[in-house]
Amino acid sequence: MTLKSIKRKSLFAREDLVNRLLSIAKKQGRSLYGLVNEIFELVIRAEDLGVNLQKAFKERWILKKARKDGFILVPEGLWYEITEIAFQNSKDETLKRWFEAGAWLAKRYIEVETEKPFEAFKRSIKAYSWNVPEITIEEDDGQVSVRIISPRMTESYTTLYSVFIQGVLETFGYKISGKSVSTGAIRIKAVRKGQDVKE
Amino acid sequence: MSKSKRLVYVSEDLIKEAMEIARREGKPLGVFVEESIELALLAKKLGYELKEAADLLEVTKANRILGGAFVPLSVFNYLVKVVSKGKSKSFNERWYESGRLHGKYLKEKFEDPIRIFKEFLKASRWDLNEIEVIDGESSVKLRCFSTVLTDKGTEALLKYVEGAFHGMGYETIRSDYMKGMIILEFKKQEDTKY
Repeated sequence: MTLKSIKRKSLFAREDLVNRLLSIAKKQGRSLYGLVNEIFELVIRAEDLGVNLQKAFKERWILKKARKDGFILVPEGLWYEITEIAFQNSKDETLKRWFEAGAWLAKRYIEVETEKPFEAFKRSIKAYSWNVPEITIEEDDGQVSVRIISPRMTESYTTLYSVFIQGVLETFGYKISGKSVSTGAIRIKAVRKGQDVKE
Repeated sequence: MSKSKRLVYVSEDLIKEAMEIARREGKPLGVFVEESIELALLAKKLGYELKEAADLLEVTKANRILGGAFVPLSVFNYLVKVVSKGKSKSFNERWYESGRLHGKYLKEKFEDPIRIFKEFLKASRWDLNEIEVIDGESSVKLRCFSTVLTDKGTEALLKYVEGAFHGMGYETIRSDYMKGMIILEFKKQEDTKY
């Protein structure tokens, strides 16, 4: 085996960052040189793959959270097909299941995210909807407005997803005051129960 | 925040690549270095090691390209049950084709597509308690175990996995399953001569 000497070069980096790396290297029982090289290799690999590392780390958070919320990740095209067939074969029960899934999710946020459950739900559902180009959920003075636009959604899927959102909103204590659903587009307005609809 | 600087050593080859990226992005090398370290510290803060972050990169890339949708597991299980009623064959064929497409993509894009496929399953199918892949000399064994997977869900997943391996250029030599358990063994397909 031929040993090839690796040439080293020095670089200046912010002292506070280097100190933190030193502490990590020490904990892991390795050299600072090895750790810094590994970091550079990772960043260069990300660049080659065309991946934004920061975004990738955030997506990891999404995967972990989705797991806790009872979601799994399935191929999107296949999912739309399955939904379409189920909707044709068993419409009422399929609608019921979607509504219940929404209600379950909202209940979970109410129980677990005690501080601002609706805000936490909004963050999560937006993160899980990475395949949906536009999703806005606005809450103001006891009224909620939801707008979801995705050209990829089939007619049946749009209906089912709207029922899912309805399940969420009703469990959070809102009453649906307006709903418009057409292929790929959902608009829902809701008002906190016991509160009048503002014009 | 400290403005003092300290010297760190990096291998010359990596520095050259880093300089090239910094040049492309129109930023000084010093900024690139600091951003890289900050990212590594972020990974640490979020609770994973650099090796894990590297695997995540590939899975993230594959997920985005192949198109994954988050769906509630309870609804998924119900829909699978409804759809597969009496039409198991065509339903399973859909899963098989979807797997084959994924397998082909992974084979084209990655040096070790089986490892990436395993990471992909781990990242997307957390209804599986355990996924084991043993890459032996003459065959690859894959075992999945789940306590929540339904009968039909198991069948569909089996077809998806089989499709993925076929897409990666393998053929099935053993296929065994029961509710919540999949045992598959593959061997590399011999090159087709034209």
